[in-house]
Amino acid sequence: MAISRRRRNTELVLIVMAVIITGAAYTIASLGENSEIPPGIVVFVLFLLGLLVCAHMVVRYVAAGADSTLLPVAALLHGIGFVMITRLDNELAGLQATWSMIAILAFVGTLLVVQRASDLARYQWTFFAIGATLLMLPMVPGVGQTINGARIWVSIGPINFQPGEFAKIALAIFFAAYLADRRELIAASTWKIGPIHLPEPRFILPILVAWGFAVVVMVGQRDLGSSLLFFTLFVVLMWVATEKVSYLILGAVLFTGAALFSWSQFSHVRTRVDIWIDPWSRSLDSGYQIVQSLFGLADGGMTGTGLGRGNPNQVPEAQNDFIFASIGEEMGLIGATAILISYLLIIGAGLRIAIRTERPFEKLLATGLTTIIGVQAFIIIGGVIKVVPLTGITLPFVSYGGSSLIANYILLALLLRVSDSSARRLGELPDEPTPSERIAAWRLRSKVSSGKITAVDVDGADGSRVAG
Amino acid sequence: MNRQIRSLALGLMTLYVVLFGALNFWAVGQEEELNGNIENTRAVRREFNKPRGPIVSADGVVVARSVPNPDPLTSDEIKQLREYPTGDLFAHLTGYFTKDFGATQVERTQGDVLTGSTTTQQIRSLGDLLSNEVDNSGSVELTVRHDLQQLAQELLGDRKGSVVVVEVATGAVRAMYSNPSFDPSTFVNAPFEEAEDLIVELQNADDDPLLSGAYQQRFMPGSTFKVITTGIGLENGVIDLTTQFPRETEWVPPQTTDPIQNYRGTQCGGDLAEVFRRSCNIPFAQTAVALGPDAMVAGTEAWGIGDDVPIDLPRAAASTFGDTTDLDQKLPLLAIRGFGQNEDQMVPLHMALVAATVANGGEMMEPYVVEATYDHNGEELSRTSPNPWLRPISGAAAATLTELMTGVTEGDRGTGRSVQLEGGQRFAAKTGTAELGLVDDPDLVHAWMIGFAPLEAPQYAIAVVLNDLESTQADAATGGRQAGPIVKGMLDYLLTGPGAGG
Repeated sequence: MAISRRRRNTELVLIVMAVIITGAAYTIASLGENSEIPPGIVVFVLFLLGLLVCAHMVVRYVAAGADSTLLPVAALLHGIGFVMITRLDNELAGLQATWSMIAILAFVGTLLVVQRASDLARYQWTFFAIGATLLMLPMVPGVGQTINGARIWVSIGPINFQPGEFAKIALAIFFAAYLADRRELIAASTWKIGPIHLPEPRFILPILVAWGFAVVVMVGQRDLGSSLLFFTLFVVLMWVATEKVSYLILGAVLFTGAALFSWSQFSHVRTRVDIWIDPWSRSLDSGYQIVQSLFGLADGGMTGTGLGRGNPNQVPEAQNDFIFASIGEEMGLIGATAILISYLLIIGAGLRIAIRTERPFEKLLATGLTTIIGVQAFIIIGGVIKVVPLTGITLPFVSYGGSSLIANYILLALLLRVSDSSARRLGELPDEPTPSERIAAWRLRSKVSSGKITAVDVDGADGSRVAG
Repeated sequence: MNRQIRSLALGLMTLYVVLFGALNFWAVGQEEELNGNIENTRAVRREFNKPRGPIVSADGVVVARSVPNPDPLTSDEIKQLREYPTGDLFAHLTGYFTKDFGATQVERTQGDVLTGSTTTQQIRSLGDLLSNEVDNSGSVELTVRHDLQQLAQELLGDRKGSVVVVEVATGAVRAMYSNPSFDPSTFVNAPFEEAEDLIVELQNADDDPLLSGAYQQRFMPGSTFKVITTGIGLENGVIDLTTQFPRETEWVPPQTTDPIQNYRGTQCGGDLAEVFRRSCNIPFAQTAVALGPDAMVAGTEAWGIGDDVPIDLPRAAASTFGDTTDLDQKLPLLAIRGFGQNEDQMVPLHMALVAATVANGGEMMEPYVVEATYDHNGEELSRTSPNPWLRPISGAAAATLTELMTGVTEGDRGTGRSVQLEGGQRFAAKTGTAELGLVDDPDLVHAWMIGFAPLEAPQYAIAVVLNDLESTQADAATGGRQAGPIVKGMLDYLLTGPGAGG
């Protein structure tokens, strides 16, 4: 009891701190831009505080044992992102505020609907179907939309969204459930070619399917970043589940093959690589974005130009994929490092959750979800600062965009749910039945009392929970 | 599985350490290099919304100025528009100031003054800091005269070429115009894509209109180079006024059997004054060979050949004497370069300085285009003081060269004889017709003329070059015939015309 309450109090304090930092950044950005204190500062801070406290209260009531740092760190990233977006394009700020609301609603909704992480495993094939459909949706004629060269948008009626952002969560759930069920089988049965132990072909099949997905996404949607993300996710989960390094090696070989093939076959892939190797000679056309991004970082230097005092708008798509460059420019090396550390904190907290839980499915789910955040942030930050070839993908919690924000808050809710579930099993707080379990118990009890079944059957079926 | 998860944590942490390393590399390690990159427009953008002062010609014509954007809301946060009222006339001097593509030339070098960012300006406007709208933008006065630029443009017409006039005693550039030029007004205030298209179009256009032909490009100098060869010869004591050169139509230099000929195969010879004014080739080939590679190369270096012309503008070109490795094995090339052909290439501004050096008793001044800078109250911030650059020849050699160059315009069969100034003003000159020797266009030449006036008390040195002219037997495009009238036009205007005393 005490542990969980202390955790929630810590979370609340951290959230208030994140809001204070965000509010201060918002004020400074406005001062830097037009030397006046933003008229809506009080409304802004109250709005943000209200949203986050609302999220916090729901966690306090339905996931009291969950990790206390994830939500505040995400809130900080979200807040800094919001300030940058407002500073870059005032018109987007209003939209982002709406998205923030919906994202928190989605966060709350996920926590309320998913009361036990293990419930998700039961719907693994549903999630597979959802994930695969979402992934392929942009390629459906009439629905898919090509924006900025990548076919990753779907437009149904008035709603535009990037299904890939949601597909990654559905596929993570599916992968985790699929591998949790079969991990021992896959690990045990090997197929030896020379010195290399490979799993039997029927177990390699899924990895090949995943690889196929990655290639299809890479080619069909011109979305290299997502394709790399999906593939990394699956290979990491295979490796963690089977405890066999050969999957990492196999994955690396397959991805290298696919990358080399697409490099030789597709000009847009080649262009990306060329820009990565030498953006300077293309500084006026294809390399403009990355060169401007690096100029921005250099202009920011150690401490940054100050919020509102740089020119981050010079980088096209500054509010999206290149928001990290804007942060580096105006908040300097120090601010950008703070962002990196925030992601490390999320990774640390996420993997700690994975290690704490003893159930394979939850372990794999937490690992997968954490990998998504960690690798996605690495891919886009690395692209922006010329560590890896640039691939368009959003910076989790920071970039502008509804799909990304909502999906990442759902992801966060699932991580918290896994964390809470394991805390309950570890006895850190009483494991009370969830509402749906209460209903099931009540129905059972009424059946027992009406004499349709006997209490012995009930105990045998689901003893402990119904007994409570 | 926990072991794998721990490894995964370590792996992801490593990735982020790499990111942190890269971040340090760009934000701190490469900071200076990136900030100095010519395409880095961050500093420019920061300055863009500040009021920016004007650039004014020596005769008081505003050649660049800022006006408030009448429609700031629709044009993406630009509060000031930059205007260039004289179009393409001063473009190579002022350069341009754009939001997305940086600033060039004076707009770049004097950016701090124009926006009021120098320490002096900030101290002088301390009182204004308390008010909201601080306009402490400075202004820049050029040495270049608008009337001379206009005349040069008029005289060149649509021919490709350059006109440079420098003040002999100071090195102040009074005119420097080259065709083709460009009009910065067309793109400085344009939206990003439109501006990018226009700039790329200019970059890809024939004859590089973005680069000044007068100081950012170099051309084969032809016989005007003989001033330099003669100067080196006089300095080294290889030749003097008494030197006699045999009258011949061709001469075979060492290490070859191919003879060198005079212009159009004429017979040419006599004393130094005669061969100089008639611009024979063979005597200067012989002088170069007599000097030998070491003395010749050292001599050209003494004239500043091989160094960027030290003008106060970015990206000035350097003249060249060509590839000088193993020149002692290539004496025929040395011979040919002695009269300004083969790999010799001179920056037109440098050629004007060569004439100025002769006029200035052997001292070559550093050229400059910024006369002075002023703060927002019109008080002087800085004034350029003339600065000697090189001293390639002694006063005696300069006097001898003056005599030789006077022969070009006054002596019997002088190549510049046809060019005579109004009011009997005497002047010294040297013509040049550089045969480019292109296989696919053998008739192509650069027609040059350099000189200075008035002879008695030299005030102005001038270099005119017309590039890529078709020269045929029937209609020879020589320096005297083509560049001569422009030299005459400029000097007449300056000495006896409306521009006198300016």
